[in-house]
Amino acid sequence: MEREAAALVELQDIEFAYTKKDTVLKGVNLTVRQGEWIAVVGESGCGKSTLVRLLNALLRPQNGVVSVFGEELTEHNAPLVRARIGMVFQNPDNQFIGETVEEDIAFGLEGLCLDRAEMERRITAYTDKLNISSLLPKHPGELSGGQKQRCAVAACLSMEPEIVVFDEATSMQDERSRRELLGVIRGMKEQGNYTMFSVTHDVDEMLAADRIIALQNGTIRADRTPDTFFEDEEVLRDCGIELPFRLRLEQQLRARGIG
Amino acid sequence: MRDKLIIGRMIPTGSRVHELDPRAKIAAMLLFTAALILSNGWPQLAALAILSILVLTATKIPAKTYLRALRPLRWLMLFVFLFQLIAGAGNGAVNLSAVEPLLWSWTWGPFTLTSAVLSSALLAVSRMALLIVFTAMLTFTTTPSMLSRGVEGMLKPLSRKGTGAERFSLMMRLALRFIPALLEEAQTILKAQAARGADYEEMKLKEKARLLLSLLVPVTVGAFRRAEELTTSLEARGYRIGAPRTAYRQLIWRSADTWFTLLFALLPVGALLMRLTL
Amino acid sequence: MIGWIRRNAGKKSNSEADGFGRKPTIAEPLSGMDEAAASMGDRIEDAAAKKNAAGLSDPVIELSHVDYTYQAGSPFAAAALHDVNIRIRKGTLVGIAGGTGSGKSTLLQLLNGLLLPTGGTVEVLDRTLLPNRQKPKLNALRRRIGLSFQFPEQHLFEDTVEKDLMFGPMNFGSSRKEAQSKAVEALKSMGLDEALLKRHPLTLSGGQMRKVAIASVLAAGPEIVMLDEPTATLDSAARRELIALLARLCREEGRTILMVTHRIEELMEVADEWIVMHEGSVVFQGDADELADRSEELDHWGIAVPEQLRCWAEWTARLPQLAALPLPRTAEDMARRIEEAVRGFAECESTNMASEEGAKHESIQALGGPADSSADALPGHGKEASICVTS
Repeated sequence: MEREAAALVELQDIEFAYTKKDTVLKGVNLTVRQGEWIAVVGESGCGKSTLVRLLNALLRPQNGVVSVFGEELTEHNAPLVRARIGMVFQNPDNQFIGETVEEDIAFGLEGLCLDRAEMERRITAYTDKLNISSLLPKHPGELSGGQKQRCAVAACLSMEPEIVVFDEATSMQDERSRRELLGVIRGMKEQGNYTMFSVTHDVDEMLAADRIIALQNGTIRADRTPDTFFEDEEVLRDCGIELPFRLRLEQQLRARGIG
Repeated sequence: MRDKLIIGRMIPTGSRVHELDPRAKIAAMLLFTAALILSNGWPQLAALAILSILVLTATKIPAKTYLRALRPLRWLMLFVFLFQLIAGAGNGAVNLSAVEPLLWSWTWGPFTLTSAVLSSALLAVSRMALLIVFTAMLTFTTTPSMLSRGVEGMLKPLSRKGTGAERFSLMMRLALRFIPALLEEAQTILKAQAARGADYEEMKLKEKARLLLSLLVPVTVGAFRRAEELTTSLEARGYRIGAPRTAYRQLIWRSADTWFTLLFALLPVGALLMRLTL
Repeated sequence: MIGWIRRNAGKKSNSEADGFGRKPTIAEPLSGMDEAAASMGDRIEDAAAKKNAAGLSDPVIELSHVDYTYQAGSPFAAAALHDVNIRIRKGTLVGIAGGTGSGKSTLLQLLNGLLLPTGGTVEVLDRTLLPNRQKPKLNALRRRIGLSFQFPEQHLFEDTVEKDLMFGPMNFGSSRKEAQSKAVEALKSMGLDEALLKRHPLTLSGGQMRKVAIASVLAAGPEIVMLDEPTATLDSAARRELIALLARLCREEGRTILMVTHRIEELMEVADEWIVMHEGSVVFQGDADELADRSEELDHWGIAVPEQLRCWAEWTARLPQLAALPLPRTAEDMARRIEEAVRGFAECESTNMASEEGAKHESIQALGGPADSSADALPGHGKEASICVTS
C-alpha cells in the first residue's frame, strides 16, 4: 500500500561474523521504506544489535551490500551517513559524554560544525520537545536513568537524523521511564519524519511497531505485522518471547469460548 | 571508597573563583606548584599558605570541605613525614638546611634527630598539604569539561596540527567522566565479596592485598566494556579525531584572569629571589 | 492460634508497623479469649494456625524507624531511606517494587550489613544492627543471608565459575572438598550444566552469567536470598524461567526470598507479599489483593499497574460479582474465574428467561466482546448474577 515510498534501507545477502568461527548473521535480506517503524526481536545473542550496527557502518559485513538513502555504504560515505542516522543505546551512562546535559547535546552539534546560535536553537527546541529543559545544567550523576535516556534521545534528535535506531534503549529503564520513552517513540512515529528501528525485548514496544523482524540463529525467522506475529506460538517460542499477560488471558478466554 | 574521595567534583557556590577562566586557574596552579618546589623555608611557605587561604575563602566553600579532601591522603602524608624524619635522622648530624639554626638535637643509636630535620620533615608535609588543598580548590570550582577545555586551550598553540591537543582534551574529559564510574564498579565488587563473606574491612593485610588483586580483572573488563560502548556511541554521533568542529562554549579571558595569573606569577619569582638572596 | 512471640520481649511494640493485621502479643496466654470471639474469628484463626504450623509467621527481618543517609556529614550527603518499618516472615517470597532511586537497593544492602543504618534498628535473623561507628563482625550473618547484585558482571570476580561458586562457602568455613560439592549443587539447582565450571565467568552469556551469580549466592546455603533486579536485561522467556526457579527455592526449600523488581507483573504469580518503595519510604506492605485495592496509587509511586490488575479491573467492571473474589494470579486462573462468572450468569439468565441454550450462548458472547456495549446492560443483572456465584 506504500508502494510509492522509496526503499530507505536495503540489506542484500548480508553475512557477518565477529570471528571466523561463529557467524552472527547469514543470508539476511531486508528492505525498509521511509517512515516505517521496525522492531527487531529475538533471543539474546541472535544478532539483533549486530544488524542495526551495519546500517551506519559501525560494523561492516563480510559479504553482501548495505544500501542506505539509496547509496551503497562504503568507507567513503560512512561519516556522511552517520550524521543522518541517530542511535540511542541501552546504557545511558556510557553514551553521556558531556559534563552536563547541555554540553552533551552540544557535543554532537559541534561535530556538525554548526554555529553557536544554531546550536542554541536546537538545544532549546529539542529539550522542550522532550520536556527536559529544566535538566540542562545537570550532571549525569544527578539524573535518573529515565532522564538520562531522554537526554540521549534529545542529543540524538537534535542532530536531525532521518533514521533513528533504539538499541535496547528501554531495557535498563524502570516501568515509568520505559512507558515515557515509548510515548516519545510513538510521538516520533506520528510525526512521520523518522524511519525507526527498535531492538527490543519489550512486548509493548513490539506491539507498537509497524513490522516485527524476528531473528533466530542469524537469519530472519519472521517478518510480519505485530498482529500476525503474536498469533504464531512457534515463532514466539523460538524467539524467546513470552506472551504478555493480556494476550495470554485473551487466548485462555478464547479457548473457553469467551470473547 | 566513594565515601571518602571528594576531589574531582565541582561544588557550585557561584563565587568569583568559579567564574575565572579555567586557563587562568590552571596557570595559577602550575605557578603555585613551581613556587612550592622553590620555597625552602617557613617564611615562603607561610606566604603561600596565606595566599591559598585567601583564595580558598574567596571560593565560599567551607574550610571543612577542604579538610575532608585531605583526609584520604593522611596516611600518605604521615608516611612522607616519617620517611623524611628517618632519612634525615639517619644522615646523622648533617644539617640539611643552612638557613635553619641548630636549636636542639637528640641521638638514638645511629639516628640523630635535630630541630632542622624535624623542621624539614614538617615542611615537606606542609608543601604536600598545600598542593592537595590547591588541587581540591581547582576541581571544586571548575567542572571537568571546563578543565579539559582549559588544558586544550593551553596546549593548542604547542601542537602544530591541533589533533594532539584535541586527543588529550578528549582523553581527559572521558577520564574525568568515567574514573568515578570505575571506582564505583570496584566498590560494588568489593561489596559483592563482602556479601559472600570476604569483608575487606575485617581482613588481615595479606588477605586484603589478595582481594584487591582479584578486582583487577573484573574492573579492567568493565573498563573495556565501557570504553567499547563509549567508542561506539562517539562514532555513532559522528565523532572523528581531527574532523572539523565548532565550539559550543568559548573560553573568555577577562581582565580578572590576567590579574589572577599575574598574582600567581609573582610567587615563583619571589621564591626564586629569596632563594638567591638568602 | 498462637500469637507470635517477640524476640525482644519488653521492647516497645510497634503495632502500626505490623504488616499482617494482628496486634503483636507478648507471649499472651491463649485461654483469655472468650468463646464468642473465638468462633467469630474462626476462619482468620484457622489461617493463622496454618501459617504457624508451617513456621511461616516468625519474622526473620524486622526494620523499625530505619533511616539511611549516604555520605552523611559531607557536602554530598543524600538521604536514601526515611523511617522504614517492615517485617518479613520466614519462608515467604517478597517482591520489592519501586522506581529508580526509590531506595530498593539501599534497603537490601542494609539487611546484610553492607550498609549500617544511620537511624533506627535493623533486625535480621538473630542479629540487631544499629547505627554505629564501629563496624560489627558480620560474616556469621552473611552466611545466612545472601545478596545477588544488580549487574552480574559486578558480582563475579574469580577466573573460573567454579572458584566463584566456591568463594562464599570457603569464606564461611567450608573445606575445599565441601565447597566444591556445594558449587556443583548450586550450579545444578539453577539448571546449569557442570561443563560451565571451568569457564571464565565473564565469557558466559547474559542469562548464564545471571544464573551463575545467583548460584554463587546459593552455594553458601543462605536462609534468606536477596536479589536486586535479577530479571533486568533478560528476555521474557528467560525471565519466566528464573522466576519459576526462585519460587521453587521458596516453596520446596523453605528459603525466604526478597526480590527487587520494577515489573510487578512478572512476580505477581508467585509473590506472597509486596513492599512498595517511593522516594526512600515504604509506602505499601501487603499481599496482591491489598495492592489491587490501591492500584490507582501505583502510578504516583512510579510503577506501572500490572496487567493482571488492569485486566481484572476491566472484567470486574463488566462482571461486578467478580469483585468479591481474590485477585487471580495467573491468566489460566483469571480465565477460569471469568468463565465461571459468565456461565453462572448465563445459568441465572436461562432460569429467568426459560430459553436454555440460546440465551446462554448469547450472554457469553455479549460479555466476552472486547469493550462492547454489554457493560451498560450489566448493572441490571448484577444482583442475580452475584447470588448465582455465592450459591
